[in-house]
Amino acid sequence: MNGRKRFLRNALLFLLLVFAINMALNSVYDKWMIYHRLNRNQDRQFMEYSDSLVFLMMGNSHNMLNPAIIGNSFSYISPAEVYAQTYYKLRYILENTGKRPQYIVLSVDPANFSPKAENTLKFDGYWRKYVDYQELARITGDYNYYTKWFSGNYCAYVGNYKFIFRSITLINADFSVVKNGYRPPRSFRNFAEEPNRDALGLERATSYLAGYGNSPDLQPAMYFSKILTLCREYNIRPILVRMPLTNEYLEYAHQLVDLESLDRQIEKIAGDVTGDYLLFDFRTELSGRPEFFFNADHPNPQGADIISEKFKKLVSEQLR
Amino acid sequence: MLFNSIGYLFFLPLSVAAYYALPPKWRWVLLLAASYLFYGMWKAEYLLLLMISTAASYFAAIGMEKQPTKARKKPYLWTALLVNLGMLFVFKYLGFFSEIIAGVAELTGASGKLPVWNILLPVGISFYTFQTLGYVIDVYRGVAKAERHAGIYALYVSFFPQLVAGPIERARNLMPQFREKHDFNPAMFTSGLRLILWGMFKKMVIADRLAMLVQPVFSQPDYFHGIQIAITLPLLIIQVYADFSGYTDIAIGSARLMGFRLSRNFDRPFSARSIAEFWSRWHITLTTWLRDYVYFSLPGKYRGKTAAWRLNLNLIITFTLVGFWHGAHWNFLFFGLLHGLFMTFANISKPAMERFNRLSGLASAPRLNHAINVMATFMLVSATGFFFGQHSFQSTLTLIRNIADFHDSGIKLMMMLQNNDFIIGVLLIVFMLWFEYLVKVRNFSRAFMNKPLIVRYSAYLTMLFFLLIFGIFSQQEFFYFQF
Repeated sequence: MNGRKRFLRNALLFLLLVFAINMALNSVYDKWMIYHRLNRNQDRQFMEYSDSLVFLMMGNSHNMLNPAIIGNSFSYISPAEVYAQTYYKLRYILENTGKRPQYIVLSVDPANFSPKAENTLKFDGYWRKYVDYQELARITGDYNYYTKWFSGNYCAYVGNYKFIFRSITLINADFSVVKNGYRPPRSFRNFAEEPNRDALGLERATSYLAGYGNSPDLQPAMYFSKILTLCREYNIRPILVRMPLTNEYLEYAHQLVDLESLDRQIEKIAGDVTGDYLLFDFRTELSGRPEFFFNADHPNPQGADIISEKFKKLVSEQLR
Repeated sequence: MLFNSIGYLFFLPLSVAAYYALPPKWRWVLLLAASYLFYGMWKAEYLLLLMISTAASYFAAIGMEKQPTKARKKPYLWTALLVNLGMLFVFKYLGFFSEIIAGVAELTGASGKLPVWNILLPVGISFYTFQTLGYVIDVYRGVAKAERHAGIYALYVSFFPQLVAGPIERARNLMPQFREKHDFNPAMFTSGLRLILWGMFKKMVIADRLAMLVQPVFSQPDYFHGIQIAITLPLLIIQVYADFSGYTDIAIGSARLMGFRLSRNFDRPFSARSIAEFWSRWHITLTTWLRDYVYFSLPGKYRGKTAAWRLNLNLIITFTLVGFWHGAHWNFLFFGLLHGLFMTFANISKPAMERFNRLSGLASAPRLNHAINVMATFMLVSATGFFFGQHSFQSTLTLIRNIADFHDSGIKLMMMLQNNDFIIGVLLIVFMLWFEYLVKVRNFSRAFMNKPLIVRYSAYLTMLFFLLIFGIFSQQEFFYFQF
């Protein structure tokens, strides 16, 4: 066999090996990745949910309202979810499941509208079920979404070593604690016991708010509007909530952005799309109480329950 | 187009396949079209600059060659220099100088507000300008012949693997290769793929991971102190190395797929024992360019005799230019100046250092002496990272002020150690340096190629899937694209 033929044979063999290993890795990752398992478990619970659905909590881990306290509600929040994903999931629910909540509860912190929330779709292996990547690419003009569609379908493990490690360590995760979609917030650390809370506040604030302009980023703002438009079309009333943050986070957040101005602009977007919404501001509700936080911007289960109780009280007063 | 983009994943194989499918006499057309497409996909308007630079140097070189004396060649040389350096000045340095002039005008209370120009820097302009200038000067000096084939010459300026960030090629190395008939060579092709894989690994697994650790410190220096900065400075230099040498490996590898041999740009710079040696191992094609066309052109004699002070002054001038080549910012000027001063200090203190080594016994412990020199060089280079990691002089001063504050160092160090990317990054740095030592010093490549197919494929697959799992796939630009 001459050199070229041998090269071609070996190259083909190599490509076949790459293809086979890739398919094997992708299928193992798709099945065992902890957030895929967690989110799909939530999907199952949502489909099995049979009570009247008054409140549907959506968004990411900042929205940690507890359905067990609020009642007649389901928490469909998922880790690192951005508004574009929320929009497509809500659209899927309304078009395909026959379930329609009376209220959508959505967190509206400036972090949700950060440029860093743009094109940061994670867990495409799971989200390919909901997100219309082609439409997303067309609307935003960002053709990286085609790549995300491809990786979500054929090589979701790529670049995700952190989730591989996490999935291995959580291989025996107990999903029985998840009730009505609600997974109690993380509690293996307590922010009050952190030796350098200031640095942690800075780290969290910069990770969301550094590089922010003077106004909400266009893409999150656009999908936030689309969520509200969808709510209006289906006669669902949005309840917007600002979730609690630690003093340490807020101190740096105020240095990085003009929070008040951003809040006003976000309210204006909501007002322009739908005049009929409620806004609850819990941002400083746990001010000076680091013991109710897991980290600088996530309450722990106790903190989450306090806010859930307050939310319940407020809605019973205002929706009476 | 970025080497680490999906687009390049399609562009390169298609270009290579088409290259071998075409008859040799038409291949230059394909490569030129591919190169212009490659560049134009970033910003099509700036293709015009590339073409102007090409045309100016092409016609100047031909015009020059027809002249019998150097004096008559000079107008052509000056025209080419003026066009190329003029473009470089306008697009790279005008903003810097207009800012200075506006600042001075404001200080002196001059009436009216002077404009400050901020023009988008055309990617690769510093690289292709130097390449064309080198060619024109070589023709002027008579060490290279003027290229008559406009297409081949345009390809020499724009050859896509090395267009945007080098290596800065000399005409005598690259141009003749465009006339060679490159048959498909499996061994060369495979070595090209290996280099691309290694370059991608360095860029996406190591450099981009280190960038995540380094960038916050340089973008928000107010919030970082002592140990955080002290650790970040060497990480920055290693990040830049992994990034730029990774880019170079991909460039050389891509060219090799089509049978082209590009110049080496790095030679294990962190094993250098002095700053001078460091620069003979780091961005070699830039350093040799400046040596040949700037340093050697500066007068070394004073009153008819070679003067050490004059040579040292030339060194400082040349390295200040090296710094300024990197960007139109005070920081880069200081970066280059510092390197020049370090080298000058080493030259001046050489006899004293030799005496010290003799007296302290270091001269009789060459390994220890070597290790100390390597460490000292690395620390000096890292220290210049204060200037290299960012554009703002104010931020540099903040970092210099903050590095002295070692308050809460234990806690800050613990926080860094709790970051998986920091631990993985450090392990990967050790792996990269060890692997490059094996390849360069222990001739690992030859031994590896003699291993059975199963061993080689296992190594390739491990590397490939390690890259896929641990790589950062957010398409970070290469560090040297900003220059």
